[in-house]
Amino acid sequence: MATTAPPAEQTGWTKQDIKASRKANRKLHRKEHAWAAAFMAPPVIGWVAFLLFPMGFSIYASLTNWNGLGNMTFVGLDNYTRLIQDPYFWKALWNTVFYMIGIPIGLAISLALALALSRKIRGRTFFRTVYYIPVISSLAAIAILWQWAYNGDFGLVNQALDLIGIDGPNWLQDPTWSKPALIIMAVWKGLGYSTLLYLAAVQAVPRSLYEAASLDGASGWKRFTKITWPMVQPVTFFLVVTNIIAGSMIFTEINIMTPTGGPSWSTASLVWYVWNQAFRNLQMGYATAMALVLGILVLIVTAIQFRINRANEFSID
Amino acid sequence: MSLNANSARAASRALAGAGEPDQGRQAPQLKKRGLFQAKGATQESPRVNALLTVILSIGAVVMAAPLVWMVSTSLKTKDAVYALPPEWIPDPFVWDTYRRVFDDTYVLSGIKNSLIVAVSVTVVGTVFSSLAAFALAKLRLPGKNAIFLMLLSGMMVPFPTLMIPQFVMFSRIGWVDTLLPLIVPVILGNVIMIFFLRQYLHNVPDSLVEAAKIDGASYLKIFWTMIMPLIRPAVAAQFILWFMFVWNDYLAPIIYLNSPEKQTLQVVIANMNVQYATQRDYPLIMAASVISVIPILVVFLIFQRQIIESIALTGSKT
Amino acid sequence: MRRMKVAAAAATMVGALTLAACSAGDSNGNGSDEPDTSGGDAPNELTFMFRGGEYDKLAYETAIASFEEETGAEVTMIITDADQYATKLQAAIAGNKVPDVFYIEPAKMMGYVYAGVLADLTEYVEQDVIDNIWDFGVDAYRFNTETGERGNSSDPYYGLPKDVGPFGFGYNTVLFEKLGLEAPSADEPLTFDEFVALCQELTQDDELDYQTWGTGLNVTWNSQAFIWGAGADWISEDQKTVTVDTPEFAEALQWFADLGLVEGVTPSAEQAQTLDTYQRWMAGEIGFFPVAPWDIATYNAVAEENPDTFGYDVIPYPVANEGDDWATWLGSLGIAVSENSANKELAAQLAVYLSTDLDAQKILAENKVQIPNLIDYATGEWIETDAPAAGWPANTQAFLDIAQEKGRPLPGVWTYTPEWYDNFWIGIENVVDNGSQTATDFLAAKQTEMQQLLDQSWINADQAKVTG
Repeated sequence: MATTAPPAEQTGWTKQDIKASRKANRKLHRKEHAWAAAFMAPPVIGWVAFLLFPMGFSIYASLTNWNGLGNMTFVGLDNYTRLIQDPYFWKALWNTVFYMIGIPIGLAISLALALALSRKIRGRTFFRTVYYIPVISSLAAIAILWQWAYNGDFGLVNQALDLIGIDGPNWLQDPTWSKPALIIMAVWKGLGYSTLLYLAAVQAVPRSLYEAASLDGASGWKRFTKITWPMVQPVTFFLVVTNIIAGSMIFTEINIMTPTGGPSWSTASLVWYVWNQAFRNLQMGYATAMALVLGILVLIVTAIQFRINRANEFSID
Repeated sequence: MSLNANSARAASRALAGAGEPDQGRQAPQLKKRGLFQAKGATQESPRVNALLTVILSIGAVVMAAPLVWMVSTSLKTKDAVYALPPEWIPDPFVWDTYRRVFDDTYVLSGIKNSLIVAVSVTVVGTVFSSLAAFALAKLRLPGKNAIFLMLLSGMMVPFPTLMIPQFVMFSRIGWVDTLLPLIVPVILGNVIMIFFLRQYLHNVPDSLVEAAKIDGASYLKIFWTMIMPLIRPAVAAQFILWFMFVWNDYLAPIIYLNSPEKQTLQVVIANMNVQYATQRDYPLIMAASVISVIPILVVFLIFQRQIIESIALTGSKT
Repeated sequence: MRRMKVAAAAATMVGALTLAACSAGDSNGNGSDEPDTSGGDAPNELTFMFRGGEYDKLAYETAIASFEEETGAEVTMIITDADQYATKLQAAIAGNKVPDVFYIEPAKMMGYVYAGVLADLTEYVEQDVIDNIWDFGVDAYRFNTETGERGNSSDPYYGLPKDVGPFGFGYNTVLFEKLGLEAPSADEPLTFDEFVALCQELTQDDELDYQTWGTGLNVTWNSQAFIWGAGADWISEDQKTVTVDTPEFAEALQWFADLGLVEGVTPSAEQAQTLDTYQRWMAGEIGFFPVAPWDIATYNAVAEENPDTFGYDVIPYPVANEGDDWATWLGSLGIAVSENSANKELAAQLAVYLSTDLDAQKILAENKVQIPNLIDYATGEWIETDAPAAGWPANTQAFLDIAQEKGRPLPGVWTYTPEWYDNFWIGIENVVDNGSQTATDFLAAKQTEMQQLLDQSWINADQAKVTG
């Protein structure tokens, strides 16, 4: 929120009046600052108490050759120079970034679903519940189901493709198709979650806006791009940021569906590699360094997103 | 935002209901007629609705598949699990598996422990998170965005690296084999929920808050009586998600909990996983998973009505 | 109305907070009788961290019962999930909360010993107990911290075996009969040529009303026996050089790949993806397939249900040339004692019980979980009466042969970590599944990469040795 005192020419206030007004505002704001600080205190306390030490510990560990069991010996930036030269680090990073292709796809489908489900369709409630089921189902059940769905001959996916005349690939065994296979599964699993959030946002758009627009002769598409899309933009921003953060950590799906990192290591994500190095290869220091690099990359991407979003923001006055 | 007559007028206008066109946007242009052309007021075309119903139904089949699969597998024999093509209807039906699940004496205590953790975390944590979101979105505080980014950064460090030092920390204060490490760090606020509520609050006019402040309402009052009802759908949506996340978490409980009577449900389920043999007892795992899904479904069904229903302040929203 | 809402909200919050406080109260209130994973405090309390199936649990409860009776100690069993066992153990070590007795994998020994996590058991266990356990069972846990060598019978040992798992070979007796083939010898290994010839006879789609193949082997778990049977190996004896690029290795690996690619005696890669060869074997479609003790119960059930398609027995693995020695890998899981345990001697005794208590071993063998650890029992009463009575295959002697002499640890067990060995399998499908690369080319490139990882692993080991 910008400065508070109106320009002098407008109201005829003197300079002293402005100064006094600003001082009064600051005093007023001090109370507000205090309350705001109090409200924000619990999460900050939690962060300081429970994240600060582990993060500090991790930073130190990344500068050692710790094997996770014994003592730590300082080795400076060795781990970092090592990961720059490690082809598997880059491959895992590439795989992780590749997985994020699913994000825009998923969001587009969810928004479409939310719009559909906010209309007066028969069985709305039923659909909303059913579409949410993958979100709450156990990952183990989903993993098994999709492993069979991706089966080369009997799998549901290839049988469906067969119906439209496409010869489906050997999904999980094929280095080219293994990642898309996991992306499809992730998009499908996350649909309910994004749809739910979009639904909440879409419902909050004032009907009067749509009415005013259609009275002016706007088509459905125009109403969407000019009203709906901007109004749900905060949710979109939220989903993109959180999905990128969560997507960078993708691990369990890979561990279950392709426990050895997939054909030619095509599915290994960075956190999966970190996990292996930490717990299988006794390379905790190195693993921590890789994890921190990932964290920093994500932080940079997120900060950029916040910048861009601030430029596009508008608020209702 | 200036505290002057203009904003007060704007506030009351917002409350009264006529939507103002945004200052910086163009008025909508005339467009060609098309399939989605509205007729006068925003009526919904029944043809479009019918088409959507069909599409949604097809999609629903795909979506419901895993739950159907879970239930179906839980009723199969061990070998039938691997049958190809996959069987959707078990033949023969094996009900015994569910009995075996409950025979494992720790399932009930597992449910109890999971409930303790999930309910305390989500209920209390939601209040803290909503307050924080309110402060972030509507109140003045220098550096609040930086603080927020700092909180968010806590999520960006991959968990394998944080797991061990956190365990070291908690073992030093003797919290291992208690539910405390699963509750205390998270109960103080969930960054994701804060983030989402902050976004959601963007669409709540600042003028409302300002007007209430002018009226002399305390911040807590503003929060409880004005803000909370407005963000109810968002809170409900995030509540479900948070509950589910806490309920399904197994990594932290496995590491911290040792005594069987302390373990949460997911740990109990994981322990049922006989892994020495090459074949896992999938019917047993699925049966336990089905049982574990029920509370989440219940929470979801209760709260999803909160999300869907129109917002209370009908004056400004319909 | 609003006041009621506020009251309701307040009540919920109070309730939730109370719940949270209760759980904290629980742990504090009953602190003294709660099992603490940092090991028992009193001179006769022990904790044992455990993972496994119902028969393991049953067997160990029996062993613990007799242990408690004999020593007057109190043992608490902490049950964990198998998948996260390593993580939990490592967290416990970092947080200084190691149980008194716990499982350890042979491949992880070096790191754990250097870090002072494992207690040296040599002084706590009597020699005649050791003599009665399979050599490999104890050697797997031997380590010389000075020389960095593993598995030498004169070195101290840091664990006792929970089990010794021979990875044997088997054939489908029913299928052989149906196709009129002579059963392979129970103790003389087939040569590679004889093996291929038999496989070709077994691969048919016209004689019976279902298709069958000679074999269907998974390269990650089944190739070792054949590579070794050809006289090649992944690593040199001193564990310093990767030896996958030798001509014998290339020849053996190519032969293995050609079983499917050229001879056509295995299901194709697509067919294997459609239905796992393991499933096909149990459906009676495969002639030769591995058999290990942990499979016995399942195979017996299948044989009982489908006697006209499936029956099995154990045989030696094939060798390259007549007269060669056959080999396969032996798995093992160990029982170790925490170096920082308050009751090391007592804990070591518990380890001995878990590893060698006769009643426990009988329960495990009877329920077809593993072969007995005790040599005298296994080669005597067990193989003669108990095993056949419990349903073990006719040629169970082959398992004992593996445990006694024919078995070797998987590559990577004697090194600091198996990272160099895990790397071997990345890209192997190009040799074995689709044949886009010859074994020789693949191995030449692999040797360099694996050697690099192995060298790095030795550097890490030396660092760990120094820093502890």
